[in-house]
Amino acid sequence: MLYQATHTTRYLYDEPVSQCLSEARVTPRVFPGQVLHQMRLHVEPEPATLERRKDYFGNDVNTFAVFRMHDKFSATAISVVEVARRPVEDAAEVVAPGLSWETARDLLAEHADADTLPAYEFVFDSPFVAAAPELADYAKPTFAKGRPLVDAVSELSHRIYKEFDYEPKSTSIEMPLLEVLENRRGVCQDFAHVMIGALRSLRLSARYISGYLKSGTTYQGADASHAWVSVFIPGAGWLDFDPTNDCRPTEGHITLGWGRDYGDVTPVKGIALGGGKQIVEVAVRVDPLLASDQA
Amino acid sequence: MRSAKTREHKWRYQPVEDHWDEASWHARFPRRHWRQLMVSLGRMGFDQLSRRWRAGQQVIQTNGITYNVYGDPQGKERPWSMDPIPLVMDEREWSGIERAIGQRATLLNAILGDLYGPRNLIHQRSLPAALLFANPNFLRACSGIVPPQGLYLHSYAADLGRSPDGTWWVISDRTQAPSGVGYALENRLVSARTLPSVFNQCRVRQLNRFFDEHRDSLMAMAPNHRTTPRVVLLTPGPHNETYFEHSFLARHWGFPLVEGADLAVRDNRVFLKTLAGLEPVDMILRRMDDNFCDPLELRGDSLLGIPGLVQAVRSGNVAIANSLGSGLMESGAHMAFLPALSRQLLGEELQMPSVATWWCGDTGPRKHVLEDLENVVIKPAFPRAGQRVEFPATMSKAEREELAKRIEAAPEQFVAQEQVALSTAPVRTDHGLAARHVVLRVFAAWNGSGYSVMPGGLTRVSTEPRSLVVSMQLGGGSKDTWVLTSAEEHHASRAGQLQITEPRSPGELPSRVADNLFWLGRYAERVEAGVRLVRSLLPALSSEEDFGRAATLETIVHLLSGMGYLPAEALDVSIAQQRWQTERLLGNMVYDPTRSAGIGWNLKQVRRATWPLKERLSQDTWRVLQQLDRDFSSSTPATSEQRLVVAMNLLDHAIVTLSAFGGLLMENTTRGYGWRFLDIGRRLERALQMTEMLKVGVAQGPFENEPYLDLLLQIADSSITYRTRYLTALRTEYVLELLLADETNPRSVAFQLLTLLDHVENLPWQAVDTDMPLEVEIAARILEAVRMAQCEDLATRDAAGNMGELEELLGRIKTDLCDLSDALTARYLSHLTISRLTSV
Repeated sequence: MLYQATHTTRYLYDEPVSQCLSEARVTPRVFPGQVLHQMRLHVEPEPATLERRKDYFGNDVNTFAVFRMHDKFSATAISVVEVARRPVEDAAEVVAPGLSWETARDLLAEHADADTLPAYEFVFDSPFVAAAPELADYAKPTFAKGRPLVDAVSELSHRIYKEFDYEPKSTSIEMPLLEVLENRRGVCQDFAHVMIGALRSLRLSARYISGYLKSGTTYQGADASHAWVSVFIPGAGWLDFDPTNDCRPTEGHITLGWGRDYGDVTPVKGIALGGGKQIVEVAVRVDPLLASDQA
Repeated sequence: MRSAKTREHKWRYQPVEDHWDEASWHARFPRRHWRQLMVSLGRMGFDQLSRRWRAGQQVIQTNGITYNVYGDPQGKERPWSMDPIPLVMDEREWSGIERAIGQRATLLNAILGDLYGPRNLIHQRSLPAALLFANPNFLRACSGIVPPQGLYLHSYAADLGRSPDGTWWVISDRTQAPSGVGYALENRLVSARTLPSVFNQCRVRQLNRFFDEHRDSLMAMAPNHRTTPRVVLLTPGPHNETYFEHSFLARHWGFPLVEGADLAVRDNRVFLKTLAGLEPVDMILRRMDDNFCDPLELRGDSLLGIPGLVQAVRSGNVAIANSLGSGLMESGAHMAFLPALSRQLLGEELQMPSVATWWCGDTGPRKHVLEDLENVVIKPAFPRAGQRVEFPATMSKAEREELAKRIEAAPEQFVAQEQVALSTAPVRTDHGLAARHVVLRVFAAWNGSGYSVMPGGLTRVSTEPRSLVVSMQLGGGSKDTWVLTSAEEHHASRAGQLQITEPRSPGELPSRVADNLFWLGRYAERVEAGVRLVRSLLPALSSEEDFGRAATLETIVHLLSGMGYLPAEALDVSIAQQRWQTERLLGNMVYDPTRSAGIGWNLKQVRRATWPLKERLSQDTWRVLQQLDRDFSSSTPATSEQRLVVAMNLLDHAIVTLSAFGGLLMENTTRGYGWRFLDIGRRLERALQMTEMLKVGVAQGPFENEPYLDLLLQIADSSITYRTRYLTALRTEYVLELLLADETNPRSVAFQLLTLLDHVENLPWQAVDTDMPLEVEIAARILEAVRMAQCEDLATRDAAGNMGELEELLGRIKTDLCDLSDALTARYLSHLTISRLTSV
């Protein structure tokens, strides 16, 4: 499936800003199952410098600096990206029935091969997601003794979908993870964090995916940037789950990048000198594109 | 007879059983290397030692050696605590420590290079991967950055303890931004001053060379190879626990002391924001934890650092000592692996053991720890603020079980350590010598080809004889550390001297410092204005009747309410009440530091403004400020009569001290931009104060205004000038001439304006702009207005009995002065607050 994604982030300041330094992680990532055909980033006012690099997790980062006085600022990323069925889906189907979650946990603790060692990094606490007894308790009913890993993770994702209320306005400020768990409500970032935290509390490996959803569907979380979870399945690879929409991301999910939690892959962040109060607007539009439309 | 006995009793020293004692191998016999010290001290006598110790305390106080205590409700710094008896180290033993510490620094540097680079140690399983992945001090943003010459650790410190068999053990490693060298040097200055003859008799190794080498190697490591690289010392600010040391080292080395807001990143280069614009920085010696250094790429919840710094480091345009991410090696969890890593990376045996440490992330050690919980202490594997050491030996069974559960849930977060039975050393107490446990902090620094170890250290002693907890945060003390030598040392020329290095070019003054100097000037002048006001008003209150031309109560109340000190309705109450009110107000101005217009309050602001300037003010200036502070923090006398008498004394004294302060600033500050900003602050404030007094006392004063004029002249210290110049009764136009228009009277408004104009004309505005700057225009405009005015006309009353022209002029002066202040701030001192964009 070929898409054109347009992602606009706009800041309006109360007081003028004399300079601003910002990082954007808005370039769709290339991996088996996703191909990037085109990517343009337009920043207003025109930045004095614009640089590109890869971060620790291999995501594309655009860094830009604006040094002239301004009272609004916008970054628009337009990308053309092709999404297909991922090879990991097939691999998971093969290993899934026989791989209990305890075996997966022990294989991670062993991290004996070249795939498991990097995955092992995602077992540990990160700034926004730390393991906790409360999270382990939440996961326990699902992770029965000897239950196949993929099966259990699917149920965990389903339970979060069922048991948590999706409230787009409920976390404009970042709510601590345990509070989200207690209140049973939040947005896609919170659901992803809860699921990652629950898995880490069982010493399983899970990472945070930042991305977009296809527009015009019944998905929750379209029109803004979206987030879901990837779980390491030893022997198969990283398998994605979207607890906000109770589904396994397929051709309707576009992946921007991944990290340990939201903080590692924040789509747009920055530091400004001045500014006072700010209003921020985000718009994401993802439309299918015929191969012939491609410029 | 009796006193001799007491003395002998006080010299008696009883080491603690079952611990190594540094000074003696038996209750009565000093160790060989302590003999000279003990003999010298014995000759001196205990009482003399105590006197010397008190003299040392005085040095500490006057040098302002302090240590900030976190969570102190007073928010105050505490005088540094130091025992007069040094810890003496034998020459041979020291060379063993020197080699071991140099080796350890080399090893830790090599491990950092691997973990931030190829990670062979992880792939080969020489170090568990969890030690890296679970460590919050592993800065992923810095992975792959190779610092100049592969040097991650420029400086390193270790805490050492000695067990009963005499072996030294490393208790902890400091790789982030090791603190203590500055205090160690200060301890040396104090002990060399309090025990000069003993010091000379003992042949103690000098510390200077270590500091000089360290500075030279920092300058040599700066990238870009400029002939004179600019090195800055980055501090989190005056509230940091070891701020004293930051400012001390900056002064000693001649590096500008900067905070995050003083630096800016442009085009991946770091610059110092100065009055004359941006000046490139090549090397940052940081005393800020690395996590806080870049709010964009590192910790997202702090705005302390410099946005874009990591990218500048990545680009190789600036070097940081120690490199960002080096805090990784402060984890005690590594200790268990160091012997093997030393063999693997250096091909050498580790020369000094670490305290027995078990990392619970490993299954075997964890089992051992859980079985033997009572006999170890449990520490966080990755030190984080707020986490403390736990002592299972003193826990109940339930508590121990709870701890075991926590360890099993996240084993990689814990280490267990054997508790070292620390050695003891004698300290002086009021009851005689006593044994205290010691921990020795030793320091290593890169010298260009290897690590040099400072021949000395910071010895810290426990507060209680039995306590094994040694912490400056918890109120422990310190000692100088004397490493003996048999060799003749060529003493470096700078032996123990402090040099205050002036900035390289005058424009290099950081904007933030100029801002501080400006406010220091303003608040110091407010203090003086307050003192002068109260001192002129008090005598009238304390006398039973009006004598001569002394101001009447009514004049005083009118003046005070006009200037906003008393409410407007203060004049509507009875005479007795007016007197009572005024008395209370003046008393409060002197004694109540919480009153916002009071002298004490303004002094507090002076203090706040001087804090960050500590390394820029001379020691004498600093002492004078402390004197003022002490004077006004003395307690309020009980009776009101006493209050007034004591207050008069205090104020007379304060005028002299303030003059000393002003004199020191004038005489000891080079006429650079810093001095100009300080003086601008003073002049601006003085002009504002005088304008206000003329408005209230003259323009709005009553027809019969002689008492007012008299009072104004007194407050402005111009009575004698008036009498000698005019030889006549008080007349409004003459007083105006003297206090408003006379450009030769240092208290007049015109004098301030003339000085202000000179200052703003000579600031480095040409560096930024070629147009005539607004502040020059304003200063010239006000001066012109004052020059044009005729005092005779100003003093003339209109039909309604008002001095309309005067009031209008004074109003304009006030507005213009405020605009002048704003214009200056906007051009030179602008400090926009840094803010974070909402992450989306």
